[in-house]
Amino acid sequence: MSERIEQLQAMIKQADSLHLCTEMLDYSGIIEYYPEELVMTAKAGTSIAEIQATLAENNQALAFFTEDQAESIGAAYANGGQDLSDYVLGIKIIDGNGELLNFGGQVMKNVAGYDVSRLLVGSKGQLALVTQISFKVLPKSYIAKLTAPIKSTASSGLRQKIEQKLKQVFDPRGVFN
Amino acid sequence: MTCMSVTEQLLRALPEGFVITGDENTRPFECDGLSVYRQKPLAVALPENIDQIKQVLKICKANNTPVVTRGAGTGLSGGATPLEQSVVLGLSKLKKIKSIDTDKRLAVVEPGVTNLAISEAVAEFGLYYAPDPSSQIACSIGGNVAENSGGVHCLKYGLTVHNIESVTILTIDGETLTLSRQDEGLGLLALMNGSEGLLGVIVEITVKLTPTPQLARVVMAAYDSVRECANAVADIIKAGIIPAGLEMMDKFAIEAAEGFAQVGYPLDAEALLLCEVDGTEAQVQAELDQVLEVLSGASSLKVSNNEAERLALWKGRKSAFPAVGRLAPDYYCMDGTIPRRHLADMLEKINELSKQYKLRVANVFHAGDGNLHPLILYDANIPGEIERTEEFGTKILKLSVDMGGTITGEHGVGIEKLNAMCHQFNTKELEIFHKIKAVFDPESLLNPGKAVPELHRCAELGAMHVHHGELPHPELERF
Repeated sequence: MSERIEQLQAMIKQADSLHLCTEMLDYSGIIEYYPEELVMTAKAGTSIAEIQATLAENNQALAFFTEDQAESIGAAYANGGQDLSDYVLGIKIIDGNGELLNFGGQVMKNVAGYDVSRLLVGSKGQLALVTQISFKVLPKSYIAKLTAPIKSTASSGLRQKIEQKLKQVFDPRGVFN
Repeated sequence: MTCMSVTEQLLRALPEGFVITGDENTRPFECDGLSVYRQKPLAVALPENIDQIKQVLKICKANNTPVVTRGAGTGLSGGATPLEQSVVLGLSKLKKIKSIDTDKRLAVVEPGVTNLAISEAVAEFGLYYAPDPSSQIACSIGGNVAENSGGVHCLKYGLTVHNIESVTILTIDGETLTLSRQDEGLGLLALMNGSEGLLGVIVEITVKLTPTPQLARVVMAAYDSVRECANAVADIIKAGIIPAGLEMMDKFAIEAAEGFAQVGYPLDAEALLLCEVDGTEAQVQAELDQVLEVLSGASSLKVSNNEAERLALWKGRKSAFPAVGRLAPDYYCMDGTIPRRHLADMLEKINELSKQYKLRVANVFHAGDGNLHPLILYDANIPGEIERTEEFGTKILKLSVDMGGTITGEHGVGIEKLNAMCHQFNTKELEIFHKIKAVFDPESLLNPGKAVPELHRCAELGAMHVHHGELPHPELERF
């Protein structure tokens, strides 16, 4: 475990309220990339531009829509929709208690436990600090034209209630806001 | 009212014949596709509409009675095995295809519709439903969502989760919740996929439909060594090709399949690769040329020249499980998934363990996804053989986790892999899972005890969470 992760855990444990922006975490870089696996694992602060450049060396690319190349993969994840979710394979997070947790993995097929790595897509950093993300990539020739996902803001009362309770699961002290 | 039993209340609430009771009558529901585990429920309710499902849930909740939702009962991990004192909620009567939208390529279906029935219903429009678990002729779409089922073609077309547009669930309180791909906010639709009936009852599903490829051709490549064959799998992907299917079989599986289906598999090969490419004629030809170049090191190559030949080559693969099943009284099917680069090492390790435990293993699997299905052959009548098989199986699953993979790629945890879950997740992670269930089902009435092990179970097992293969005290034999 890296020193930086331990610092972040300690910071979250002591904090009452934090607003963390992945770009500012000083935690970036590609951890693992095996072109023949079509899988990359990157620290959350890694920029989309860096990821795309590395993938391009192997004629591969991200298969979900990204707008801002300077944005981090962590930010794309936090604001992501279903198209990004489809390519997420696993995450490491620090929850509101400062615990480092691992969900999903680096393989395409994985049905062990609830799909937390896709549940937190679009969670806007409100549930946990996502530290690293594994995602599926594709050869360029298999990627159709990518467009921004359409999101519907209509939300039922029941859905809102469930989302609030899920926040309490990951962040019982309400640290992340 | 209060002195009536749950069964009596169900009998009163639903039309005649919709509630099955009694030892003999409930027998067909005592297990799912994993028949080692059997348990008779209090009763089986077979509602035909959403209002009736709500009635069942209301009665069960009022009586604090667990509900085990069941689709077609083809699951392989015991997800639909009844619990003692539970009511089985069978959804097989909800089998209407409610609407088909060919422009948007969507179909709205009830949960009891079989996987194949969807493809059949939309075939006339040149469309099909892509995920194809081997049991597709029988398995229900509701069960597919509950398990996030895979299949031979998910390498290119994705798993169930990738092919579902929306689901409507009933909570244990009977409230309706529709979750769609467009929803802003948390990924609740993805959460529902693979939740094994623990969070809600799926009552309606909108599936995505895929245009039927103009053409599909399959290449059969035989290899003199398992390692060469496994490396060829990685080479195909490395070459920038994503085949529609990429399946591998070892010598034992080849012999079994050929003996059963007589489709012309080479019996002298150590390993066999089936690689399917699909698309327009031009796409297929281009990919085929590339695939044949990558596979030029094979000891023999055969390409299907027409649909009959293609189906014949697949027939052996698709009948591999029953074919192997003929060779021993019992077999145990594993479902671990590993990164593709470790395929050859894993197969060698399984081979070593097979010798060590004196149990034969046939390997038939979705090589393209790294999803292994080692079939361990055993005889439950020989004392100690089941225990040896389970120990062997546990070692394979632990290896899968150590290699950066998972204990289950597509069959689910159910009751079968509860112990293995203790290896993949630590206490804090398991706690999160339990709390997620409690958000939806605080009294734990929906399929309780499945999918996520109780923490004390892991503690009693003495299981230790393995991180990146760093086992504490690796010198000690475990179990």
